[in-house]
Amino acid sequence: MFFLHNLERRVTLHPSYFGRNMHELVTTKLVKDVEGTCAGDYYIIAIMDTFDVSEGRILPGSGLAEFTVGYRAVVWRPFKGEVIDAITQTVNPHGFFAQAGPLRLFVSSQLMPDEIQYDASATPAQFTNNADIVIEHGTHVRVKIIGLRTEVGEMWAIGSINGDFLG
Amino acid sequence: MSKVIRLGSRIRYPITIVRLLKSPGDKIKKQEPLLEYSFKWMREVTDKFGDNPRQEEQTTTVTWESPTDGELTQWHITEGQRIVADRACLTVKEECSHGIQYGGLCGMCGKDMTVVNWAAETRDTERAPIHMVHDQTCLTVSPSHAQRTERELQRRLLQSRKLSLVVDLDQTIIQACIDPTVGEWQRDPTNPNHESVKEVKSFQLDDGPSDLARRCSYYIKMRPGLEEFLKRISELYEMHVYTMGTRAYAQNVARVVDPQRKLFGNRVISRDENGNMFAKSLGRLFPVSTNMVVIIDDRSDVWPRNRPNLIKVSPYEFFKGIGDINSSFLPKRHDLLTSDAATNGVQNKGRKMEPPPKVDKNKDEALEAIVNMTGGDDSALTKRQVEEQERAFEKQIKDRPLQLLQEKLDREGEEAEKATVQSEDGSESRSSSPAAHRHRVLQDDDTELKYLEQHLIKLHKTYYEEYDSNRASHNAGGNVDFSSVPDVGRILEELKSQVLRGLKIVLSGVLPRGIDIYQSEIGVQIMSFGADLRPRIHNDVTHLVVNASQPGREKLLEARRRPHIKIVSQEWLAACFSRWEAVDETPYLFTARLVDEDEPNNRNKPPAAAAATTGENAAAEDDEENNEGENKAPNGGHNRRGPRLRLVSASGESRDLQPADDDGDEDSSEEEMDEDLLPDALPDGQSSPIDGLKTFNWGSADAELEEFLASGSSDEEEDDDDDDEEEDGDYVQADEDEEEEDSDDNTRRRSRTASPTSGLSASRKRKSRAEDGEDGDGTEAFGDDGGHETPAKKLRRTQSQRTTSLRAQFAAGEQPADQLEGGSGLPTPGGTDDLDGAQQQQRQSGSTRIGEQPDEDDDEMDFDEAALEAEFEAEFAAEFDKAEAEMQAEQAALALREANKPGTEAEKG
Repeated sequence: MFFLHNLERRVTLHPSYFGRNMHELVTTKLVKDVEGTCAGDYYIIAIMDTFDVSEGRILPGSGLAEFTVGYRAVVWRPFKGEVIDAITQTVNPHGFFAQAGPLRLFVSSQLMPDEIQYDASATPAQFTNNADIVIEHGTHVRVKIIGLRTEVGEMWAIGSINGDFLG
Repeated sequence: MSKVIRLGSRIRYPITIVRLLKSPGDKIKKQEPLLEYSFKWMREVTDKFGDNPRQEEQTTTVTWESPTDGELTQWHITEGQRIVADRACLTVKEECSHGIQYGGLCGMCGKDMTVVNWAAETRDTERAPIHMVHDQTCLTVSPSHAQRTERELQRRLLQSRKLSLVVDLDQTIIQACIDPTVGEWQRDPTNPNHESVKEVKSFQLDDGPSDLARRCSYYIKMRPGLEEFLKRISELYEMHVYTMGTRAYAQNVARVVDPQRKLFGNRVISRDENGNMFAKSLGRLFPVSTNMVVIIDDRSDVWPRNRPNLIKVSPYEFFKGIGDINSSFLPKRHDLLTSDAATNGVQNKGRKMEPPPKVDKNKDEALEAIVNMTGGDDSALTKRQVEEQERAFEKQIKDRPLQLLQEKLDREGEEAEKATVQSEDGSESRSSSPAAHRHRVLQDDDTELKYLEQHLIKLHKTYYEEYDSNRASHNAGGNVDFSSVPDVGRILEELKSQVLRGLKIVLSGVLPRGIDIYQSEIGVQIMSFGADLRPRIHNDVTHLVVNASQPGREKLLEARRRPHIKIVSQEWLAACFSRWEAVDETPYLFTARLVDEDEPNNRNKPPAAAAATTGENAAAEDDEENNEGENKAPNGGHNRRGPRLRLVSASGESRDLQPADDDGDEDSSEEEMDEDLLPDALPDGQSSPIDGLKTFNWGSADAELEEFLASGSSDEEEDDDDDDEEEDGDYVQADEDEEEEDSDDNTRRRSRTASPTSGLSASRKRKSRAEDGEDGDGTEAFGDDGGHETPAKKLRRTQSQRTTSLRAQFAAGEQPADQLEGGSGLPTPGGTDDLDGAQQQQRQSGSTRIGEQPDEDDDEMDFDEAALEAEFEAEFAAEFDKAEAEMQAEQAALALREANKPGTEAEKG
């Protein structure tokens, strides 16, 4: 699910950048540092605006200036039970991997409807029910997240297509 | 999915079950108390002052918590039962077996598996320990799940009558290089190599190990006939790619080889997913059964556990001297065949660039790696390997080995034209394209895949014949019957063992000394092809395989006496291995002829030698001998001559042999020297070394020699020589002592003293020594000479080294008597008449050298003797007085020190 989230971050600036457009630089650096990263539970998708750039403090020793920046960002936090759309990346006998934006999901063969079976003889390999559903590299799937695990900078998720309107 | 749960080993047995809290049919959750038990233990009690400690028995009742979720189906214990050891207590029907896990999550129920719980003895992640999927390391499966998947795979393969084939990339089906020269050649149609590199595909990687590697292109040359090979084989085999390159590399290569992704699909595994930096294992892909898997790879040492399934192919070497660009991730080849089918002078050079000490270092590294791996932390190693590869990359890009080779070849070609010596046809003797004016470095004449295809087809046929007959006997009907699946490894071994059955093979000069032939790569291969490998020549031996560039003497001699033994080159063996048949030996046959050199005082020469000499050979030999004598003497007294053993191949090409000591398995330094003696351009068995001498200016050599002899000898020296000859026992003693001290050091020094002015070899050796990281020689020598040894001793030792070095050559070969008496080049410095002066001078030289340039102690041996001498004389004149005073002072000091350290002196012997 997407959220607008108020966040704060300390940004350091090298002395060579000190000058008139310092705040602009701070914002640029913030965007560069933060956008597209995974901050534990959620991904920071985009920074809307920065609403508060504090006064810079010179860090003793290094001479870098440190700004505390408050900013508003669009973040995406996947939840257990959430249904998301994803694109199939690879298929193997145990299941398939799908990519939903920055998140990589694994859908195991147990979490598929019974009629969908692995077919290795097809090139490329695919999951299929021998009718309308074919899941292979590049297929769009709708997946329900049933398990999530997060570490700093990393997220794993288990998905299921076993259910109504999934697949 | 019921699971039996045990009480676990962490409890203090014996225990008594007090109460069961749950009954069968109840749902249980993790960490929920399931039963109460009591146990007795001793507690130390003291009185209120803390004195009089005594043991008191206590009984405590605690609960036992469930390690898992599920439904309780059965208790195996009853209330009131006394239990003395760990045993099963209950059966649980689990909701989820957690058989597939992805990144610490159960792939079936989505639970986090990494949560550590004190109630359970094992972590849930351990339930699915097996990596089975090609392109993922996060995904793991449980053994039962793996088995199920594999059954599925086998069934499918059996139904479509296929086998699995694991294919290595580098040097097996392709060769990659990053030398930018290739790109230039591709763009330049006038280049002689343009034709060769036209087919080469290239790509760039985003994730190269460094900026440098990122910017460069990878050039991929497919092995000739690869496309058809893969197409045909894919009908019989399901193919997997297994490479030690990175994932991106592997995928890019797979795209080059298989643009439609029909052959490999996504069955590509690279070192990123391998989990092991040094070995490949079929267990990574086929954890349960390898009965239907065949491997093709050019390295067998990386498959330590899957030898039977491996078909070793000869490495594909298109870009000469480049080798495997990912080889830093493989264990080092330790028993290189110094001359295999593809070897030519150029390659020899390429290999020599990797000096032996480096290998040692790598061994250490490998050892460390093992330690690291058991420690579970190999990130440092990985980093080092990446660095190593980076270095190699940089070197390749900067040095452009291919361009060098081509330039060299061009030069050679020009020389060849000038000299109109037909046999000097570039180092690439196989270049059969007279149309190309300039010779090409890159030759594309590999036929390995043709044979490989035949083997694979044959193997497939045999396999399914056996399967069918098994099935018929089992009456399995139309169904797939797993019990009748034969083991492809066994079949492969059977097929192979027919090939050389009944042959008894002895190797000579093929392996370095100290390697167990039965453990060595080639030995294992010989045996796997059904031949009998023998360490020594016996009457029933049928073949002697010699390394044409440095065959062993004794074995050759022995083989000569038994005419039924066929002396063949290594190429024969290689051909047998690649074709899987006992190839006709005729083109590979050698006859060993011993050539007499008319020296009566030849100690080593067996009596048979003279008899074997043919007139024609003797004449040729005479001529050659003169040449060599004149050639080598100026080169710093290279008087090493022996009874020449001449290998004459069937096509009449002859090869002259340096008298190698017993088995051709000399130690490294000597080996190196031998190779240095041969002209670099010497193509494999194409010309004899004397061809190069035809253009040699003998007049100048003569003059040089004369000058050398006149200046380099004095009465004193001569006396010394003779002394050496007579009292050689003494010197040998000294020599031996030194050998004890540091044999490696000694041999190296000896080899240096033996060839002081042969600039090329000396400098090369110096280079190799410089690369030697430990540099024990230098420090040791410095320590010896500079530390506690009088200059006189030093002088004596240097002399003894020099003389013994020559002596060793006398022993190995024979010194022409006339030369000896003529006081020929004992290249010892010092040219004054009176003994005293000479001594003084030498002392002085020794001392000054010690004093002034102790660091260059290693190099001093390599100095041009004449120059050295001149220098000495100048020095002598100028500094005699000063030096003498210095000398005396120093000597006094040293004597004092020596007196203090009698022990060290005794050690020096």
